[in-house]
Amino acid sequence: MKLRKEIINATVEIFSTMVMMDISAPSAKGDEYGVLENTITGVIGLAGTHKGVLAVHVPHAVAFAITGSFLGIELDEITEDVEDAIGEIANMLGGNVKSILSENGRDIDLSLPSTVSGKEYGFHTIKGAEKTAIAFDCEKGTFYVELQLET
Amino acid sequence: MGKNVLLVDDSSTMRKIIGRSLRQAGIDFDNIFEASDGLEALDVLAKEHVDIVLSDINMPNMDGISFLREKSQRDDMKDIPVLMISTETGEDIIGEAKSLGAVGAIKKPFTPDKVNEVLGPLL
Repeated sequence: MKLRKEIINATVEIFSTMVMMDISAPSAKGDEYGVLENTITGVIGLAGTHKGVLAVHVPHAVAFAITGSFLGIELDEITEDVEDAIGEIANMLGGNVKSILSENGRDIDLSLPSTVSGKEYGFHTIKGAEKTAIAFDCEKGTFYVELQLET
Repeated sequence: MGKNVLLVDDSSTMRKIIGRSLRQAGIDFDNIFEASDGLEALDVLAKEHVDIVLSDINMPNMDGISFLREKSQRDDMKDIPVLMISTETGEDIIGEAKSLGAVGAIKKPFTPDKVNEVLGPLL
């Protein structure tokens, strides 16, 4: 529960200071997202004392708004700028999670961010992993932050 | 001669955000150079007059720590100050960066006020 609260705080801080977008959690939609539709996912891998992945699943409409806020442009398709922006959101969340899980951050290494986007796809849980998923609401829709840690 | 800054980050979005934050903080540079990793940064430093570098740590090809190490061995650029701007702010990695010449660190996410607070005294 503490980890969940810290992820919520870190996400809200990133969106309020860097994206200039109001978000709230928990969402009335619940934290389970099922099949992802018209979504882009940013992923960061964690290795070391804690192994797993941090992912942020962002509907295209929300991703356009995030990228537009970052860059001051209007978008209506997935471009390199959108991939870069969502990757950077995952990167900042990964850095925060690293410092939450490891004092001084010394015991965990982060991968570089990567993204995947599509009309319909699933994001599966690592076998035996402990999963924390949180839904966030914003004006353009609902996005999810998910942490899977191997146990 | 006016002041020039070099922004080093593999995310073009983040480079734009840092540039915008500098303007919002009221810090004006004559030229803002950009590089997407440490290798590109060394290239820019070899060719351009740069007063200060703002660099990420976690980057492909050459990360921020390797960039600092390489730069510290080059007489033509070893005295140019580097401020780290990164999600990586653990004491160990920042300590290593400082031992290689970094003058400070800003944690992502950051505000223009934070950039001003840390960068202002260095200019």
